[in-house]
Amino acid sequence: MDAWAPRVYLVDDDPDVRKAIGRLLESAGLEVASFASAQQFLDGYDRSAPACLVLDLAMPGLNGLELQAALEREASPLPIIFLTGRGDIATSVQAMKHGAADFLTKPVDDAALLAAVHDALATSRSRHRAGQERADLAQRLAALTGRERQVLEGIAAGRLNKQIAAALGTSEKTIKFHRGNLMRKMGARVAADLVKLAERAGLGSTPAP
Amino acid sequence: MNWVETVWIGMCAASLALGAIHLFVWFKQKTGYAHLLFFALAVSATAFGAFELAMMRSLSPASYATALRWAHVPLALFVLSIVWFVYFHFGAGKLWLALAACGLRLAGLALNFVTGVNVNFREVSSMDPVTFWGGAVVSGPVGVANPWAIVPQMGNLLLVAFVVDAAVTLWRRGGADARRRAAVVGGSLVVCIAAVAGFAALITLGLVHGLTIVMPGVFIVVVAMGYELGWDMIMAAQLATQLRASEQRFRAVVEAVPSAILVVDEQGLITLANQQAEAMFGYPRAELIGQAMDRLIPERFQRPVADRPSPWMAGPQGEAVGTGPDLLARRKDGREFPVEAMLAPLQTGTGAFVLASVLDITERRRLEQATARQRDELAHLSRVAMLGELSGSLAHELNQPLTAILSNAQAAQRFMALSPPRIDKLPEILVDIVKADHRAGSVIQRLRAMLRKEEPTRQAVDLNALVEDSMRLLRSDLLGRHVRAQPDLEAGLPPVVGDRNQLQQVLLNLVLNACDAMDGQATDRRLTVRTRQSDQGRVEVSVSDHGPGIPEADLDRLFDPFVTTKAQGLGLGLTICRSIVQAHGGRLWATHHAPRGATLHCELPAGRVG
Repeated sequence: MDAWAPRVYLVDDDPDVRKAIGRLLESAGLEVASFASAQQFLDGYDRSAPACLVLDLAMPGLNGLELQAALEREASPLPIIFLTGRGDIATSVQAMKHGAADFLTKPVDDAALLAAVHDALATSRSRHRAGQERADLAQRLAALTGRERQVLEGIAAGRLNKQIAAALGTSEKTIKFHRGNLMRKMGARVAADLVKLAERAGLGSTPAP
Repeated sequence: MNWVETVWIGMCAASLALGAIHLFVWFKQKTGYAHLLFFALAVSATAFGAFELAMMRSLSPASYATALRWAHVPLALFVLSIVWFVYFHFGAGKLWLALAACGLRLAGLALNFVTGVNVNFREVSSMDPVTFWGGAVVSGPVGVANPWAIVPQMGNLLLVAFVVDAAVTLWRRGGADARRRAAVVGGSLVVCIAAVAGFAALITLGLVHGLTIVMPGVFIVVVAMGYELGWDMIMAAQLATQLRASEQRFRAVVEAVPSAILVVDEQGLITLANQQAEAMFGYPRAELIGQAMDRLIPERFQRPVADRPSPWMAGPQGEAVGTGPDLLARRKDGREFPVEAMLAPLQTGTGAFVLASVLDITERRRLEQATARQRDELAHLSRVAMLGELSGSLAHELNQPLTAILSNAQAAQRFMALSPPRIDKLPEILVDIVKADHRAGSVIQRLRAMLRKEEPTRQAVDLNALVEDSMRLLRSDLLGRHVRAQPDLEAGLPPVVGDRNQLQQVLLNLVLNACDAMDGQATDRRLTVRTRQSDQGRVEVSVSDHGPGIPEADLDRLFDPFVTTKAQGLGLGLTICRSIVQAHGGRLWATHHAPRGATLHCELPAGRVG
């Protein structure tokens, strides 16, 4: 599991409700950061850590949907769980279309809320991990020489060393040498790993020229 | 007896009769000194006539002279009567002329007895029969004129001057009546005195041989004066008739007016009452007249007589008393009823009175109460309808504390299930649960208060608190409609007195209307709720929107019933609001402000209960 503490952001303008729901989340061992308005949240939340957002729909100033749109604009991966006093279908459809994790009505049962929060946190974590792997891979790819990259593309396309050598106009021995460097730089133990990584980096999808 | 004697006796008798009539009038009135003067005038004329008759029948110069000497006594009295009659009765003439004329006449009278045989003749030598037309023969004197005759002659001249001056003054005084008097009295006196005196002077000076005839002139003066006084009496009689007619009209008017009329004297006793007063108070008129006005007022409202300086007795204008709900009157059977009374002072020759006009307003009160009841019922119905509109908002207001209670309780359960249980968390959680419960309770209480149908109360209402409470109630609705509400409340506002629910209903209605006005626009949905202390102890709360505004022509039509711009809605909201505000003694009106937006103003009198 990850080392990060699961953090829940809570935005609700009603102090009584904010305090009570925050307390409920804490009782389940979650770390909670509460905000009285959408603007305060935008100004203060930590964009680097995985977390989820429990958001009241009806608020003065920026309301819940408007905050969702703002987060969408900054391509935030934060899963949002909406809380609303009235279950208005049009609003919930709009929220879900824009990727809301869940849409719960007040008063909310602890089990439903905590389940939604845990799901959202899991989503956030996996989104976060995927993001990190992608970044890692990109870093490794960046370390390759041009020739190594060409060889990797050939491998990803499923060609034999001989075919790659022919295509690149070099000897099979040279390809083997590049291949050894590639395995080391990309951190692959066997050739199959290299193929998987190349695919994940999106290299094998297009046939080599 | 020849016809001359008959005519003289007739004139004497007529003068005496006229004098007697006026003596009688004077005796009855005592104040009419003019009648007494006339009596003196008439009696002296009669006496003079008698002496003149004796003169005409004298056979010897001695008896003629004696008769003429004594004739001057009534003549002097006659002149004096004329002078003072004119001076006092007409209020005209110069005093010095009057005194001079009288003085010369009295001097003439004195000379009459001390010089000659009389003031006209030094001596009368013989009698000369004069034959009148128709064969009547009377005696005429032949003798030597007394030079002192100039004194009464001068007196006559002054008398004429005095009368002419008085007549001119009278004439100038204007008025048809004054001119008639001037003409009749002045004219007759001047003509007669001038003619008689002139003729007498001519005879006395011996320029004309004949007879001095004075009595006809004297008689004409008597008749003229009698006519004058008689005219006054005729006028007085006419006036009395008019007065009677006028009083009858007054009575008819008093009987015809729809209110009870009572006239009360300074002792507080009723001196006049109309039939409405009989009907209203249940007393027959005979019982009302002479009874104390206080009997018509319930004891607890009566004030001791000493405490009543009655300033209205002297007041120039009528004054409404007790138009409030507090003035009650009492019938004979003891039943009390609300009245409205108007008091007016009546100053008359016989003392000061107060005219009280009393209106029984039982029926009006009943109608007012029925109207108020209908208004309150309508207000209640409209309130219930409005709460229907607000149900979403109210549900949200209730939902918030319920959410807090549930989450707090479940958090507590979870803290207790931990090992070890986090008991330390419980006290603050319980405090919050209690707080949220109170919050939910107050929402329900407010809801119940507005749904409840009860008599409006009168209590001190803080408009700022009312605005804040109403905005809380509407919060969710405003959020849902994307309306931003800005309160702008003046601190230290004095309270208004009224029914809190009804006033809140007005405020909610105004805010909801403002929201409705902005439904059609995508942006700039904001409204301001403002409280202000306006001048003269009035407080204003106004709601301004940024909608399209209200056309000038509709600013007042807005409050007519069944005028609405909304698809749903009866168009009664503002009508009812206005009637509520008016029942609180306030005003509700709308203004438009360019380029956008309208404001509804509600102005109420500030005050405290009690």
